[in-house]
Amino acid sequence: MSHSAQTTDAATNPADYWGADLSQQVDCTVMARGVKMVYRMGSESIQALAGVDADIFTGEYISIMGPSGSGKTTFFNVVGGLIKPSEGSVYIDEIDIAQLDAGELAWLRCRKIGYIFQSYNIVKAMTALENVTLPMLFAGVPPDEAQDRAVDILKRVGLGERLLHTPKELSGGQQQRVAIARAFANQPAIILADEPTANLDLRTGEEIIALMKEMNTERGVTVICSTHDHKMLDISDRIMWMQDGRVKKLARREDVEITISKMKEEGH
Amino acid sequence: MTQEMWEIKRLHLKPELVWSMAMSSLRLRMGRTLLTLLTVAACCAFLLFLLTAPISDDPADRQMWGLMITLSLIVSAAGVLNTMLMSVTQRYREIGTIKCLGALDSFVLISVLVESAMLGLAGAILGIFAGLLLSVVIGSISVGLGVFTAAYWSGVFWKIGAAALVGLCLTTFGAALPAYIAAKMPPVEAMRGEK
Ligand SMILES: Nc1ncnc2c1ncn2[C@@H]1O[C@H](COP(=O)(O)OP(=O)(O)O)[C@@H](O)[C@H]1O
Ligand SMILES: [Mg+2]
Repeated sequence: MSHSAQTTDAATNPADYWGADLSQQVDCTVMARGVKMVYRMGSESIQALAGVDADIFTGEYISIMGPSGSGKTTFFNVVGGLIKPSEGSVYIDEIDIAQLDAGELAWLRCRKIGYIFQSYNIVKAMTALENVTLPMLFAGVPPDEAQDRAVDILKRVGLGERLLHTPKELSGGQQQRVAIARAFANQPAIILADEPTANLDLRTGEEIIALMKEMNTERGVTVICSTHDHKMLDISDRIMWMQDGRVKKLARREDVEITISKMKEEGH
Repeated sequence: MTQEMWEIKRLHLKPELVWSMAMSSLRLRMGRTLLTLLTVAACCAFLLFLLTAPISDDPADRQMWGLMITLSLIVSAAGVLNTMLMSVTQRYREIGTIKCLGALDSFVLISVLVESAMLGLAGAILGIFAGLLLSVVIGSISVGLGVFTAAYWSGVFWKIGAAALVGLCLTTFGAALPAYIAAKMPPVEAMRGEK
């Protein structure tokens, strides 16, 4: 289906396009409008996002799928306020993040959003406990309280015995658990997880995804997670497919189950 | 409406956090810290020795002396600057990460500067003691008990001050530019910097 056809669909039947039950009032945590991103490298320019529109609902678990190079990471970075798009806007709870100054942006990254990366990005020189404490210190939580909270949350992700270990002494799965604990430390509204399981074996990956889903239900946090693995789709509320820097499809999981099982059969 | 309206707030620089970040960074990289400390100390010690040691009034000797000071300063400065540069560039990824966690650009920049200044200062203090000792020992060989006269130590406080300043500037300037670049870099770019 071409993109222009897609847009027409969206106009005539928004429910199909967004995969939303529009009879219910829904709140959007993230709204992307016409987001384009062009990377310039010397004389060449690469269009990583070619106009992305997406509404992400409060409290949902949305998975983003798409081949490598389809713009998932770029989309995450734009939504997370980590890079500025060439065009278009991202609204987080109706606030246009392009309007924020440096201090406000730091607050947003610290308090509103938790990031989980493919390569964990745990600060190497720090223990698990220090890694999880740090964002709370940035937020202004008193050190003692921050430490107590960090211990609680590390216990929650199953690392109660590993508090004082540094990344070197932790497996990939354990490091990603530290990253999850750190992302949740300031009780953010949104978790952005960019292929969090790509560097993990299948089983560990499933455990990580299950943990994120639990935290999503427990805390009502909106989780946006990109993945290659179709298994991971089972627990998402909605799935967004990206291709060539566009949203190819955005649908509720129930509505795509058949497609998924077919894809599984085909061995994708 | 389940959604609570939130008000966007602003993070401010927290000096106590800058201090603890700088100190823990020095502690965590103890090996490199000690090495830089010794380099700075050696540089300051040598400088102070050259400044205080007795020289003959022969202009040729004085010229030679000046050349030695300049050369040794250049060599040790290059060493320290290089270490500081590496110490910061190796941290790009970490800097990008902490910016994602809410670190302000100013936090990144100032904590690196504080860290470097502390390192420079500690090295300078160590170097000043070593330099004075060196001056007494070597000076006593050439002028005997003359090292204990006031004339030998004329202007010593200025010389100590100069050595301390050199130590402080070496590390701080060496770290300033890469720290500034890393602080200004968008977090994702910084995170790609180094594996
Ligand atoms: N910093 C960058 N500079 C130049 N091109 C980039 C940069 N980041 C991503 N790209 C390009 O943008 C496109 C989308 O990349 P990305 O968002 O990483 O996709 P995905 O995460 O889905 O693999 C790719 O063609 C990639 O090469
Ligand atoms: Mg990617």
